[in-house]
Amino acid sequence: MRSAAKSWLLLAGFVLFYVVYLLFGALVFSSIERPVEDELRRDVEALKRDFLNQSCVSAAALELFLAKVLAANKHGVSVLRNASLSSNWDLASSMFFANTLVTTVGYGQTAPLSDTGKAFSILYALIGVPFTMLVLTACIQRLVHPLVLTPLSFLQRSGMEPRPATVVHFLLLMVLVVLCFFMVPAAIFSALEVSWSFLDGIYFCFISLCTIGLGDFVPGAQQGQKYRTLYQITVMVYLFTGLMMMYLLLRTFHRMADLHGLTAFFQLPRCEEDQDEDQEPIVESAHEDRTLPDPAEKAASEPLEPASQPTYNTINKG
Amino acid sequence: MAAPDLLDPKSAAHNSKPRLSFSAKPVVLNTPEDECDTRPTVMRWKTVSAIFFLVVLYLIIGATVFRALEQPQESLQKLAILTEKLDFLTTHACVNSSELEDLIKQVVSAVRAGVNPSGNSSNQTSLWDLSSSFFFAGTVITTIGFGNISPHTEGGRIFCIIYALLGIPLFGFLLAGVGDQLGTIFGKGIAKVEKMIVKWKVSQTKIRVISTLIFILFGCLLFVALPAVIFKHIEGWSTLESIYFVVITLTTIGFGDFVAGEKGGTESPEYLDYYKPVVWFWILVGLAYFAAVLSMIGDWFRVISKKTKEEVGEFRAHAAEWTANVSAEFKETRRRLSVDIYDKFQRAASIKRKLSSELGINASLNQEMTPGKRTLSANLFDDKEAFPGLSLSLTPAPGTLARNGSLYLNGLSPDYADRRELAVIENLK
Repeated sequence: MRSAAKSWLLLAGFVLFYVVYLLFGALVFSSIERPVEDELRRDVEALKRDFLNQSCVSAAALELFLAKVLAANKHGVSVLRNASLSSNWDLASSMFFANTLVTTVGYGQTAPLSDTGKAFSILYALIGVPFTMLVLTACIQRLVHPLVLTPLSFLQRSGMEPRPATVVHFLLLMVLVVLCFFMVPAAIFSALEVSWSFLDGIYFCFISLCTIGLGDFVPGAQQGQKYRTLYQITVMVYLFTGLMMMYLLLRTFHRMADLHGLTAFFQLPRCEEDQDEDQEPIVESAHEDRTLPDPAEKAASEPLEPASQPTYNTINKG
Repeated sequence: MAAPDLLDPKSAAHNSKPRLSFSAKPVVLNTPEDECDTRPTVMRWKTVSAIFFLVVLYLIIGATVFRALEQPQESLQKLAILTEKLDFLTTHACVNSSELEDLIKQVVSAVRAGVNPSGNSSNQTSLWDLSSSFFFAGTVITTIGFGNISPHTEGGRIFCIIYALLGIPLFGFLLAGVGDQLGTIFGKGIAKVEKMIVKWKVSQTKIRVISTLIFILFGCLLFVALPAVIFKHIEGWSTLESIYFVVITLTTIGFGDFVAGEKGGTESPEYLDYYKPVVWFWILVGLAYFAAVLSMIGDWFRVISKKTKEEVGEFRAHAAEWTANVSAEFKETRRRLSVDIYDKFQRAASIKRKLSSELGINASLNQEMTPGKRTLSANLFDDKEAFPGLSLSLTPAPGTLARNGSLYLNGLSPDYADRRELAVIENLK
């Protein structure tokens, strides 16, 4: 059991490092972007004051004014009266931004304003995106055992045939994901955000979890949001776990399609056998040591290996 | 199977034995001849083009539907903002701040709906005409999601969800196919280069490294540098902004602060009509390339972690060996020491017997060191790992004696703790 605890510890260390990476990005963004944002805000304020000083407004002046307002708004700076309090680049918002960057969601409602910020975004993304994929993969490996194999074995023990069991399991998993990661968060969002309906909440959840990230709806963006920091952090966690579940769902679907011969039909690369990859997981598990692992631990860390577990490999493809 | 797998456009360049993350383009790291022979699952050219046409058709259908849903809404918004502007102009004397705020709010909400209130209304192109809708549909199914255009009607949003649900896997298949083809083409080129290099008798790893470098360089030139120059020229962005746009788009992040082809309206040059489709095609191929690059970086991470793991594993093996040696030595020393102490105890016992027989004290205790007592004395020192502990256990600390299940060793029980005897034993040490 100690080796299992060790591998969990290592995974926790991995995730911790990921969080630290996000924090680092957030700090850098915050320090780069905040001054530029303040300057832009001051310019718009000055513009507004000049406009108010004039008694008669000409059309040309109005056009100029509007153009400038739009340009500012495109960068997330609003000139409305009660908008001066919260910044788009405080620490929590910068972290949120970094998270959208490495998960490739990319809302765009805040985007880097300065040249340095843009250059940094490029580097940050090039390193962060594959890194995030690695973390997600590592986390999913841990999830496969309780979420896929245990239910499958349970289903098979209750007498179902292996192949329909996979379909049933996939459908159940899908229903679970839709309920927990779409319906419930959508209801919460529509309650917390003033102008969102339930449909808007579902739309937002879907657009975010598919990493499309249009940016027309972003939680916590309205002014005067209470507990904004906590809210944004919660949304970040939701995005990460939701992404993980989507990948798990996708992987299960791929395996199932593989099993039923769909991938061969489309001549796609099938889910290659798992012995290769599961023998060297990224996250350290004890069976990489020179000492022999005890069978129980081996079963936990390589869930697809032992013959006692029902695996996709052992299910006869007929 | 790695989780970000085939059906996800970002990882769809996978086409052979998978690594832990999504796999890199294998042609770079394996000999290309192997690739062509042993991969029966490579899609044929015809299949790829068939899927390509299917995707284009799907996009056209999506574009038409979006246009039908969004354009009426857009015209309504346009009308509203124009009316607002006219009212403002007629009442422009002594503008107070509340009116200004209202105006700005209207402007902002109009912009969010995609309408630009500046300029005249006559020569503005719609944001939801066919080519723009096509572009929008493309951004949805590639999961880039710029966001400069987004659906505002309820019907548009619901349709967007369903559209994406079907379109993203579809695009994933396409990307896999494109990646395959790209890999094959590139692999053939690399094979020729490698044949030339082999003549120079360079080692295998060096060949691999060189081919990786060539892949990165060539790909960057074709898919990053060249489009950046084109964008800079057409869109009027700076160099950094062009590269920024290329990277942000090809990693499918897609902020939307810069979008190619956004600058419509009066300044549109004649070749704008086929500019957008070319951009979309570039996105398609560039995505495959970037997926390969990102998975290569992921593989480097994995190799680094594996190397670290190996080194750590080696280190741990050495440490285990060392500790095993040290503890074996330690046990040996303890054994010798316990034998030593046993001898001393025996001598102390015999002395005590002599004393007690002389003094007439009836030593009723069993003086023999049975094996049980011997292990007891040995175990006495097992708990205390350090040498100083040994001396401590011999001194009469009543607590210690009681804790260790009392030292019934040759009469050293608390009941019989005679200071004289203990002093004798101490002197014997």
